[in-house]
Amino acid sequence: MPGSTGRSDAADGSVVTDDAVEPLAVSGVLTKPATARSGRRRQRRLVGLVVPVAVLLSWQLAWDFELKPRSILPSPHQVVTAADAFFFGENTVTLSGIVPFKGAAWLHISASLERCVTTWVLAVIVGLVLGLGLGLSSWVADLLEPFTNALRAVPLFAWLPLAAVQFGIGEPPARILIFIGALWPVVVATTDSVARVPRAHVETARMLGTPRSRLWRRVYFPSALPEILTGLRLSLTLAWTCVIVGELLGVSRGIGAMMIAAREAGATDQIIVGVFLFALIGYTGDRLLRMLARPLVRWSDA
Amino acid sequence: MTGQGGRSDGAADARGPSAEERPGLLVARGLRKSFGALVVLDAVDLEVAAGQTLALLGPSGCGKSTLLRVLAGLEPFDAGTVTMEGRPVNGPSCQRGMVAQAGTLFPWLTVRENVGFGPRELGSGDVERIVGELLEVTGLGDFADALPRQLSGGMRQRASLAQVLANQPPLLLLDEPFGALDAQTRLRMHEWVRGLLTERPTSTILVTHDVDEALLLGDRLGLLSSRPSHVVSERDLPFGGDRGRHTLSEPDFVRLRARVLDEVMAA
Repeated sequence: MPGSTGRSDAADGSVVTDDAVEPLAVSGVLTKPATARSGRRRQRRLVGLVVPVAVLLSWQLAWDFELKPRSILPSPHQVVTAADAFFFGENTVTLSGIVPFKGAAWLHISASLERCVTTWVLAVIVGLVLGLGLGLSSWVADLLEPFTNALRAVPLFAWLPLAAVQFGIGEPPARILIFIGALWPVVVATTDSVARVPRAHVETARMLGTPRSRLWRRVYFPSALPEILTGLRLSLTLAWTCVIVGELLGVSRGIGAMMIAAREAGATDQIIVGVFLFALIGYTGDRLLRMLARPLVRWSDA
Repeated sequence: MTGQGGRSDGAADARGPSAEERPGLLVARGLRKSFGALVVLDAVDLEVAAGQTLALLGPSGCGKSTLLRVLAGLEPFDAGTVTMEGRPVNGPSCQRGMVAQAGTLFPWLTVRENVGFGPRELGSGDVERIVGELLEVTGLGDFADALPRQLSGGMRQRASLAQVLANQPPLLLLDEPFGALDAQTRLRMHEWVRGLLTERPTSTILVTHDVDEALLLGDRLGLLSSRPSHVVSERDLPFGGDRGRHTLSEPDFVRLRARVLDEVMAA
């Protein structure tokens, strides 16, 4: 038997032998990490709790020893109580000009979320179109780039006074600010990544029959998608940041509006509830977006 | 011998049978190409007949890749003509499929989607059947849903060939397609491609600096000079259709290999 592995075997078995070696290499990529590793990851995740717990403890101690007047620095327990009222209390406010607190959690959260998400989606659509245009057409780039670059250089919050003068206070200037904040990361990520798409991919597609007019859909967009999605995440974070600033501009519903009203009422515990909400929702949104995007960019995972 | 029943004019005797017997599928005449002051190709004449594999051998840096890119329509040229089936070549086309060292796969598509890309773009019916057939021929059936980065170098090149062959281009352009592979894998690929080209005859132009590769895969061998490059000599290769690693040790092969090597080094 060993003697017969000469030529005939090699001649027709060549493809098979090549493959026979590969599954090992491939399975290494396809299978989930070993349990020992995921155990260590869980351990590492627990380590991440050390700092928050320490901060909470020092906060409690600072309150115990009254390092700050208790009206300015409430205890963690007071904040939890405020949060409880915020979520589960009964909303008795009926006047629309007054910012409710008790039992008004969903009212404010949904207002902020709606403001953020709808404006962000709009900014993403405009940003993608603008970015693809700037990245793919030298004509569009020549026409618009000086203008967009100048606009981009204006610090985000410098638009605030102008927006207030032009649109008064309330909903429109808040949304404009969110839109501007969310727009640029999408534009920049799309323009840059599209310009960096390897020429070889474009040539291959042309050679395989893709007409020029369809290249953006078949090659540029999918090839640039991982970087574009990174831009979208940054954009969402910025949009969420702009929500609170936008809500300074005289709206009566929203987490930001609630925090401003709480400051005026001297209710520090309510302000802290707002901070936690912003952190929680912002973090969840980013994780959610990353999770939704992962299957799309599996091919580019390092 | 039997093929002479086709068309034999008086000129056939003068230049040997394979040059005149069949009309050239792709013909380049007086091709010139420069990048700025650097003249890369000068007065390149070549012709590949239908069903024939033309291996072009040249020293490294002689402009082999540039020549192939010009023939593919990916690179403009300064002077001369390139025609395919009588029509001038002036851009990339699905009539000419090219595979280079880095392969052609789109990293975001699975092997199956990559192979089906061309037929889908051309709106060919029965994409599934074409893809299934090619996956079988290339031995990639088990990896149809893998991403290119999960494949080995040899598998990636086979998948690239499958992707390009899916449109059934009359002409295949290979630019050192196995240059990045290790020696054994490369030899396996040579045997496999040789078998593939015998099975489904596709006119092929292969450029390489590897003498063994040129002699194993070519029906005809052209030698390129160093820069500015042109075709200095052409000859038919006498080895039969059944070539493989055993061919490497045949006396005829060894002799020709030594002579060609001398010529390349001198070019």
